[in-house]
Amino acid sequence: MHRRTAIRSLAGSSLLLPGIVSELLAADAKRDVANDDPLAPKPPHFPAKAKRVIFLHMSGGVSHVDSFDYKPRLITDHGQPYEVPKKMLEAFALSNRSAVKFFKKPDWEFKQRVQSGLWISELFPKTAARADDLCLIRSMYNDHADHAQATLGIHTGSVSFTRPSMGSWVSYGLGTLNANLPSFMVIAPALPYAGGQLWSADFLPGCHQGTRVVPGPEPVPDIQPLVKDAQLQEMELGLGAAFNRRHLLAHGSDPQLAARIKSFETAYGMQAAAPEAFDVSKETDDTHKLYGLPRGSTKGFAWQCLIARRLAERGVRFIELIDTGASDNWDAHGDMATHGPLAKNVDQPIAALLIDLEQRGMLKDTLVVWATEFGRTPFNTSKDSKGREHHAQAFTCWMAGGGVKGGYSYGESDDHGNAVAADGVHVHDFHATMLHLLGIDHTRLTFRHSGRDYRLTDVHGNVVKDILA
Amino acid sequence: MEKGRKHWAFQPVKVSSPPKVSDDSWPRTEVDYFTLARMDKAGVVPVNDADRRTLIRRASFDLIGLPPTPDEVEAFVNDSAPKAFERVVDRLLASPQYGERWGRHWLDVVRYADTCGNASDYPVPQAYKYRNYVIKAFNADLPFDQFIREQIAGDLLPATSDQERFDHTVATGYLAISRRFGGGKGPVNLTIDDAIDNMGRSFLGMSVGCARCHDHKFDPVPQADYYALYGIFCSTTFPHPGGEGLNRPADLVPIVAKAEVEAATKPWSEQIAALAAEVKQFEATKAELAKEPDSPENKDSVAQATKNIAKAKATLKQVTDTVPYELAYAVADAKGANTRLQVRGDPERLGEEVPRGFLQILGGQKLPKDTAGSGRLELANWIADSGNPLTARVMVNRLWQHHFGRGLVSTPNDFGTRGQVPTHPELLDYLTQRFIQSGWLIKTMHRLMLLSHTWQLSSLAPDASAKDPNNTLWWRAERRRLDAESIRDALLFVSGDLDSTPGSAHPFPPVHTWGFTQHNQFFALYDNHQRSVYQMQQRLRKHPFLALFDGADTNSSTATREPSTTPLQSLFMMNDKFAHEEAAKFTTRLTAMTNDDAQRVDRAFLMLYARPPQPEEVRMSTDYLAQIRSQLAVKKLPTDQAWPSLVRALLSANEFLYLD
Repeated sequence: MHRRTAIRSLAGSSLLLPGIVSELLAADAKRDVANDDPLAPKPPHFPAKAKRVIFLHMSGGVSHVDSFDYKPRLITDHGQPYEVPKKMLEAFALSNRSAVKFFKKPDWEFKQRVQSGLWISELFPKTAARADDLCLIRSMYNDHADHAQATLGIHTGSVSFTRPSMGSWVSYGLGTLNANLPSFMVIAPALPYAGGQLWSADFLPGCHQGTRVVPGPEPVPDIQPLVKDAQLQEMELGLGAAFNRRHLLAHGSDPQLAARIKSFETAYGMQAAAPEAFDVSKETDDTHKLYGLPRGSTKGFAWQCLIARRLAERGVRFIELIDTGASDNWDAHGDMATHGPLAKNVDQPIAALLIDLEQRGMLKDTLVVWATEFGRTPFNTSKDSKGREHHAQAFTCWMAGGGVKGGYSYGESDDHGNAVAADGVHVHDFHATMLHLLGIDHTRLTFRHSGRDYRLTDVHGNVVKDILA
Repeated sequence: MEKGRKHWAFQPVKVSSPPKVSDDSWPRTEVDYFTLARMDKAGVVPVNDADRRTLIRRASFDLIGLPPTPDEVEAFVNDSAPKAFERVVDRLLASPQYGERWGRHWLDVVRYADTCGNASDYPVPQAYKYRNYVIKAFNADLPFDQFIREQIAGDLLPATSDQERFDHTVATGYLAISRRFGGGKGPVNLTIDDAIDNMGRSFLGMSVGCARCHDHKFDPVPQADYYALYGIFCSTTFPHPGGEGLNRPADLVPIVAKAEVEAATKPWSEQIAALAAEVKQFEATKAELAKEPDSPENKDSVAQATKNIAKAKATLKQVTDTVPYELAYAVADAKGANTRLQVRGDPERLGEEVPRGFLQILGGQKLPKDTAGSGRLELANWIADSGNPLTARVMVNRLWQHHFGRGLVSTPNDFGTRGQVPTHPELLDYLTQRFIQSGWLIKTMHRLMLLSHTWQLSSLAPDASAKDPNNTLWWRAERRRLDAESIRDALLFVSGDLDSTPGSAHPFPPVHTWGFTQHNQFFALYDNHQRSVYQMQQRLRKHPFLALFDGADTNSSTATREPSTTPLQSLFMMNDKFAHEEAAKFTTRLTAMTNDDAQRVDRAFLMLYARPPQPEEVRMSTDYLAQIRSQLAVKKLPTDQAWPSLVRALLSANEFLYLD
C-alpha cells in the first residue's frame, strides 16, 4: 500500500518530475553550469538595449532603388547607356552579357516620410509611415551575387562554406529566456535558398540549431500528444521519470542523465507552451485588423509577424521570418511589377509589428532587422527591360528598435544606386553591429572547432557605431 | 618549418615496450601496462570490472551498433570458459553488421552524402556504391593502407581482374563525393579545396585547407604545399553530378568491360537515331498537313501529329538520358600539369607555378618532371607510407576514440599545433607500431583494445576521483549516449522491425526528369526500415531523424559526434508516430511470448537493457499496468493500451539510450 501510494504520487495528476533532478543539476557545483544546460541564460559581454532579435528576410533580392534608396539621377538618366565593368557581368545570365546597359528608373514614386523625412517609395507605404522607427543602411554589400551563396552570407557570414547561422550564434551567446520553447525559431513557409543551412548550428552544439516552423496546423514537429488523454500521458511520463530516477541514483547522479530527465520536463511544457504560443485565436479583433490577418488564417506574412511578436513576448531569443522561399519571390528578372504583390504581403504586417511592439513597450528591447540577400541592378540590358538583375555591390537593409537610431539613414550608394559611395557596410559589419546591439563583442563570441576559434564575423567586421542610439 | 618539425605529431613514431606496473596481474593486453603505469604515477586506482551484462551490451553496440539478444546475453553470462569474452568479440567482428557500424564511422569522416551539395543539391544515384564499398572494406578487414590507396587512386592501381578494377574505381568515390557549389559546373576550385581539406583531415589529421589563401598560421604548411597538392587534383577529372543550367550528369566512369560498353552503346545510339528520325518524320507530317486546306478532319490530324511529336520527343529524351551500362561516381586521370599558386586563394590572381608534390613537413616528395598522369597514385603512396608519422597514428586514434568515447588525442581531425596533445603518447605510438606491424589490420586493433582490462572497466565510479575527474587516465569507462543510427536501429531491432538487407540504390527520380534549380532544389525522404547507414542523406537538408539526434554533418568532416539533449528529442520519443509504431510492434512481440505481465516485464528488460528487472522494478511495472488499465476502463478506452504505454516508458528510459 505504501509503495502503491508512492507510485500514485509519482504518476499522479501534475507531472511529477522530481525536484531531485533540479537539485542535482544545481548542486553539482564542480561543473560549469553553462556546460550542463547550454541554453541557460547568459549575461552579455556588456549592458545592451536589445534582448532579442526579429529578423525579417525577404527572399530573392529586393530592389533597393525601387524601395528604400532614392536616386533622382536614376530617374533623369533613365534610358541612358551605362558601360558595366567586366567583373560585374558575371551576375548576368550568359545570354545577357552585353557590356552596355541602360539605366532604369524606379517603378514606384518616392516621398519624404513623417518627421524624419526619409525618402521611401510607395512600394512600402505602411512601413514608410513608420519611417521614424527605421534605421536604413543604404550601403550594404555582400560577397556573392548568386542567391544560394548570398543568402548563406547574410545568414552565416560565409558565402561558400557551411558555418553556424547567426541565430545559432546568438543562442550560443545568450541562451534562452524560456526553457519551454526553442531559443532560435524560424518561420518559413517554403524551403529557402541553401535550404536548412540557413538555420543550422553547424559546429555549435545542436541545441542552438534553429527550429523551423512551417505555418499551418502543426508548426513544431511532434508537439501534439499521441496519447490524447492528458492524465494518461502524465502517468506514462511519470513512470518513465520514476525509472529514470532509479537509474540516475544508481549511476552516480550523472548530470547528462539528469539533463535528459529534465528535457522530458521541458518537452512536456512545450506541448502546452508551443501550441499556446502559436494560437492567435485569443488575439483581439483590433490586433487581427492591425496585421491584416483574417481570423483563423495561418497564411501570409501577417500570421508570421503576429507569431513573431508572440514568440518574442514568450522569451524566444532569435526569431527569423522568411517571407517566401526559393521560388515565387523577389527575384524580379522578368518584371519589377512582381515586387508589388510581394510587398503587399509584407508591408502592413511589418508596420503592424513595429506598432504592436511599441504599444507593448517591447520595441525598445527588440531588434527588428529587415534584410534581403542583395539588391537589384539600377540598369538592364535594353531600354525597355522590365526587370532587374542581381546586385550585391550595393543594396539596402534596415534595423529598428532595440538600440538603433530611428528615422536615420546610414551610408550612401552612388548617384544611380550602383556602387557604395560612402560608409560601406559589409555583411560582417552588419553582423558585428547586430551582436553589439545585443551586448556581444563579436570578436569575443568564439567557438573552438577543428583547432581554431571561429566567429560569426570570421576575422572581419566593424561595429557601425553611427547607428547606435 | 624547422620549428614546426619539433611538434610531437611530425616526429617519427617512437618504439617503446610496455612499462612496468604496480600489479602484474592486472593487465590483460599491452594496452593495460600503459594505462596502469600512468594511473600508478598519479596515484589513481582503476574501478572494478563491468559486469558481464554491461560488457556484452557495450561490446555489441560498440562493434555492430545493435543490442545483444537475450540469448546472446545469457550464453555469455553462463560461459565460464576463460575465452568467453574473446569469443563474443570475434563473433561480433565476423558479423556483417560490423561493417555497417564501423563503415559509418568512416563515412562521418569523409562527409558522405547521396547528393552533391550544389545550390540545387543534385542527387548522386551512384554514391551508394562507394558507401557499400566502405562497408565491405571494413567487413573484409581490408588493410588500411590499401584502403587509402584505393580511395585516392583506385583507378590507377594494378588489378588482377576487371571486377577488381571496377571495385577500385568505385573506391575513388571518396574523391568524387567532394562538395559541389553553385550552379552549372560550379567553381571547381572550391570542390578541389573541399577534396584537399577533407583528405588532410581524414588521413593526416591536418587542416591543410587553411593554406589555400596564405601559409598556414599555426602548422608548418606553406601555401606552396597546398598548390603542390592542388595540381594533382587539377589533373583529375571529377564527375559532374548535374547542376542548374547543366542538369545532366557527365564524366561518370563506366564499370563494365569496354566490350560491354561498346556492345550496349551500339543499339543505344541506333535507338536514339531511330527516335530522332521518328521525331523528324512526325514534324514533316505536321508540316505537310499544315499546307492542306482548313477542315475539321485536318484540324484533328494536325492535333494528332502534334501529340505524336511530343510523345516521340519525350521517348527520345528518356532514352538519351538513360545510359545503358553501369556507371560509378568516380574520378579519372586527366592530363597531368602543375598549377600556379593562387594569391590569397583567388583563382584569378595567379602566382608562381608549383611542382606537384607532397607536404614538406611529411617529406616533400615531388613528382618526376615528366609525370604524364595526375600523380594521385604517388600521393596515395606518400600518405599510406608506414614512415609517414601521421597516417597510422591518426587512424589508431580514431579506433581508440570509438571504443573509449574519446581519442587519446581528443581532436581526431587535428594533430597540428592547435589540436590537443595525446594523453598517452607512448601508448599511441605503441598502438601505431602494432597497427603497422599487423599489416594495417583494423580488426587486430579492435581485439587488442577490447580485450584490454581498461576497456572492460565499469563506468560506475563509487567516488568520482578528485585526482582525475575527467577520466583522462582511463580509470573507468565513459558512459555514452547512443548515436542517432544506434537509437533508430535499436528501436527497429528490438521491435522485430529491422530490415537487415544491405541497402542498394535509392529510388531517385530518373535522370531524364531532372531539372532541379536553386529555386527548386532536389529534396526527398525515402522511408524504409533498413539500417540507418543506408538512409538517403542530403547535403542541403539533413535527414530529420539523424539531424535530431546529432548525426554527422554531410557537408564537412565530422571527427566527433557531439550529443545534445534537447526537448525536441524528447518530443520525438513522446509523440512521433515512428516511436509509437515501434512500441506497438515491441508489445506485439512480448504478447506473443507470454500472457503473464511479470514475465513480459522480464523479457522486456532483457531485450532492452540486457538484464532482468529487479523485483522492485517488476512491482513498479505491474502496479503501473493495474493503474493504467483501471484508468483506461474508467475513460472507456481499450485496456490493451496499457502495455504499449509501459513499453514507451521503457523505450524512452535513459537505460535504453545510454551505454554503460
